[in-house]
Amino acid sequence: MERPLSPFMFPIWYRFQITSALSILHRLTGIALAVGSILLVWWLITVAAGGELFAATHAFLASPIGIVLLFLWSVAFFYHLCNGIRHLAWDAGYGFEIRTATRSGYAVIVMTALLTVLAWLYVFFA
Amino acid sequence: MTKSAISPNTTALRDETMLRHVRQLGSARDGLSEWRLQRLTAIALIPLGLYFVASVLWLATSDRITAAAWLSSPVTALLIMLFVLAGLAHALVGLRSVLLDYVHTRSRLVASGLFIRAAVVLLAGASVLAILKLFLGH
Repeated sequence: MERPLSPFMFPIWYRFQITSALSILHRLTGIALAVGSILLVWWLITVAAGGELFAATHAFLASPIGIVLLFLWSVAFFYHLCNGIRHLAWDAGYGFEIRTATRSGYAVIVMTALLTVLAWLYVFFA
Repeated sequence: MTKSAISPNTTALRDETMLRHVRQLGSARDGLSEWRLQRLTAIALIPLGLYFVASVLWLATSDRITAAAWLSSPVTALLIMLFVLAGLAHALVGLRSVLLDYVHTRSRLVASGLFIRAAVVLLAGASVLAILKLFLGH
C-alpha cells in the first residue's frame, strides 16, 4: 500500500521557529552520536588491547583535533539528552502548548550550554 | 507545564489499547515495538549516559587510575556494557526512522537498513568482547 512519506519542510516551506529548528537538531545530533559510537567502541577495544594501540588512540584524543571532536560530541550528547527528556515529556502527554514548547526549547539550549561549559571547565581546571 | 488536550492516559506509552488503533491505521509492521524500544532505551540512557560522562570526566582528570583498571570492576563493566548496548539499540531505531523518512526507494531502504543493523551488531559484539576481556582478565 502506498502511504504518504514525510517531506522535508524546514526551512523551505516554513519560516524559522525554535521548535522546528530544535527538532531537526535532535535528529542531526542523534546521527552524530551514532557515528560517534564507532569511536566509543574503538576506544573500548583499544583499552582492552592496551599497548601501542591504546597509546596511539589516547594521543589522538588528546590532540587538538581529538579535543575538538570530543567537544562536539559533548555538545551533541548534552543537547540530545536535554531535548530527549523534553520529547519524553511530550510522549507522556505534557508540554504541547505552543508557549510551553517554546519555553522548554529555550530551556534545552540553556541547559546544553551550561552542562557543556561545566564539563569542560572540570576537564581543564579540576 | 500545562496539560494538553490529549489526555496523558491515552498515549501509547501507557495505554495498551492504543496498539489496536495503530494496527488499524499504522504501518502494521514493527512501528509500535520500535517506538517502545526507543522510549525505553531513552529512559535507561538518562542515568547510564550521565554515569558514562561522569566516569570519563573523572578518568580524564585522574592520574591514579587507568581506563583498563576502571573497566575491570564488575559494576563499571556492567554499567558501561548496558550503556553501549542501550545506546546502539537506540541509535538503530533512530537511524532507521531517518532512513524511512528520506530513502524513498524500497530496495535502497532495505539495503541501508541491513547495513545499519550489521554495523550495530558488529559494534555491539566488539564492545561486549572488549569489556569481557578486561573484566575476566583482571
